[in-house]
Amino acid sequence: MIETKDLCKNFKDKKRGEVRAVDHVTFRCKPGEVFGLLGPNGAGKTTTLRIISTALKPSSGTAVINGVDVVTDPQGVRRQIGFLSGNTGLYGRLTAKEMVAYFGRLYGMDESKIEKRTNELFTLLDMNTFANVRNEKLSTGMKQKVSIVRSVLHDPPVMVFDEPTSGLDVMSSRTIVDFIKTCRDSGKCVIFSTHIMSEAMRLCDRVAIIHNGRIYREGTVNDLLVQTGMNNLEDAFIKIVEG
Amino acid sequence: MQTKNIKTIFLKELKDTLRDRRTMIFAFLMPVLMMPVIMIGILKLQVSAVSDIRKEKQVVVVEGFDRLPAELQARFESHDSLTIKLSTEYPGEDLKQEVTSGRIPVFMSVPERFSQSLDLESQTDIEVYYDGAEDRSSVAYEKIRRVLTNHREGVVTSRVLKRNLPEELLTPYNILDIDLAPPAKQGARFFAMLIPYFIVLTCFLGAMSPATDLGAGEKERGTIETLLVAPATRGEFVIGKYMVVLLTSVSAGILSLTSMALSFKYFANSKEFIDLKNMMNVQIGFESIALILMVVLPLAGIFAAITLAVSIFAKSAKEAQGYLGMLNFMLVFPAFVSMIPGMKISMQTALIPVINTSLIIKSVLSEPDAINWGLVLVAFFATFAVAAACLVFCKKWFEREEVLFRM
Ligand SMILES: Nc1ncnc2c1ncn2[C@@H]1O[C@H](COP(=O)(O)OP(=O)(O)OP(=O)(O)O)[C@@H](O)[C@H]1O
Ligand SMILES: [Mg+2]
Repeated sequence: MIETKDLCKNFKDKKRGEVRAVDHVTFRCKPGEVFGLLGPNGAGKTTTLRIISTALKPSSGTAVINGVDVVTDPQGVRRQIGFLSGNTGLYGRLTAKEMVAYFGRLYGMDESKIEKRTNELFTLLDMNTFANVRNEKLSTGMKQKVSIVRSVLHDPPVMVFDEPTSGLDVMSSRTIVDFIKTCRDSGKCVIFSTHIMSEAMRLCDRVAIIHNGRIYREGTVNDLLVQTGMNNLEDAFIKIVEG
Repeated sequence: MQTKNIKTIFLKELKDTLRDRRTMIFAFLMPVLMMPVIMIGILKLQVSAVSDIRKEKQVVVVEGFDRLPAELQARFESHDSLTIKLSTEYPGEDLKQEVTSGRIPVFMSVPERFSQSLDLESQTDIEVYYDGAEDRSSVAYEKIRRVLTNHREGVVTSRVLKRNLPEELLTPYNILDIDLAPPAKQGARFFAMLIPYFIVLTCFLGAMSPATDLGAGEKERGTIETLLVAPATRGEFVIGKYMVVLLTSVSAGILSLTSMALSFKYFANSKEFIDLKNMMNVQIGFESIALILMVVLPLAGIFAAITLAVSIFAKSAKEAQGYLGMLNFMLVFPAFVSMIPGMKISMQTALIPVINTSLIIKSVLSEPDAINWGLVLVAFFATFAVAAACLVFCKKWFEREEVLFRM
């Protein structure tokens, strides 16, 4: 479970001075649910997700992940989370298997467990043909699969996805979307950011509309449509942000 | 801080680095191949530049060759590296002008009645025109001067003997010039001035290439976030990465030293390089290498920390290379102090990293018997302390969000 409380993040920017990228963000995301963070470019999605996954420290407020606080025990939080973003890269000179094993070790898994989980996931995602090929030689779709295995190898209860489908073709996007559904169905708590409304409609159980660092509205997709009297999320989004 | 995590990170980065062709070239291939090539190239130039001109034949154009006494004529004609040409072969030419323009190395003019003047024991002049700014012309001039001086001494001696005077009259005292530096030491001095710079440089290049990849490379590939959300601390990442950079830097240094020592040995014993033999006679033995390592190791420690810190600050490998190129100039250039003749390690210079390493390498190579161990220890600890400070800084630097997520 993810719970954020009055999360704020300020950046010092050379040109703009002090920028508040995240402004009192409070929401909750339950196990077995896909929670969507929906907002335009620069809304503060990435920053919020980075705080949740402990890459960044909040300026004020906090988030509690599966009972562990990001401010007081970031190390503890890291074990609870699997992280995947659209621009996550791979180590080109390592093979798919070596790369995955490296992260398994960083997550404190022992070698036999790493071996077992890797075989399981590589078979599930049909990756055995390129398991020992260097990452630099893989296609974008294959790379995406390696990233997926990397993020979920330690079987975390919480998954964080930051625009995971950006820049991918339909086929690769499909792999990711299916993977997110699998995570949800296995009872993980999934948070997912996107600026693509249709994707949010398809995938999210609940969404939060974020803009200029603030959460404008939160609820199921249906709630938002009913509340705004619109029949698609895009119009609802505009109405919420401008009205 | 967990050693298990550090080990995991170290092993992964090491594997990654060993598979990086660029790093392999900079850290391993270049020190092994380039160093001896550079050194031998310079050596060969050094030795051959002077001796080749001496061995070459130079033309001397002589006006009034037949006015010289027969004995002197014979000495010139039998000279094995001078070719005598008569001025009559150059009708209508201004021969002094030809010397200035470099077409003729030397022009010698013998006055009329030269032989007679000798016989009459009166004084006369021989004019030798040469171009002191030209190596070839100067060498030819020296050869002519030697022939003339020898002949002149013979004339004087015979005049002294003719008057029944003791021959000692001619030489009130002898100057015994004894060069105490054996040839080996002279060669060593030359190398001792040059080698330090190259060793410091290879260490830096050995750190620079992997540091670029391990720092800025993480941002460029988009792997940095996955590291930061993994349950290893930032400190553990710094140490693991640092150890790999340190290792490549140190191995670059060791390899260049070893390869240099071996190539000296090889060339000193080879027949084609007989001329080089004296200059090459530098002994780079095991003790010298061990001693040099003692100052090179902590220096590599400084280079590894600084290059890694700079690299993680940069947003791309290209940006990192730009910064590190400037840093190369700033950090490695001071190693040229060893080129200053007479510059030796002192208490003050022992405290300054890079400069102390350079000067200690110089003294190990040129005066292996007179090593000041006190100063070596001062240099070791001073450099070590700076390396430790750089590492602490590097670790703090890695914990800053402004550095990791620079916009
Ligand atoms: N490291 C940083 N330094 C300075 N400003 C930053 C930094 N990271 C983000 N920002 C600023 O914070 C704001 C929110 O950025 P963020 O990346 O969280 O938005 P986003 O919703 O993920 O947008 P996008 O759809 O473009 O990914 C932006 O104005 C951005 O410029
Ligand atoms: Mg973003």
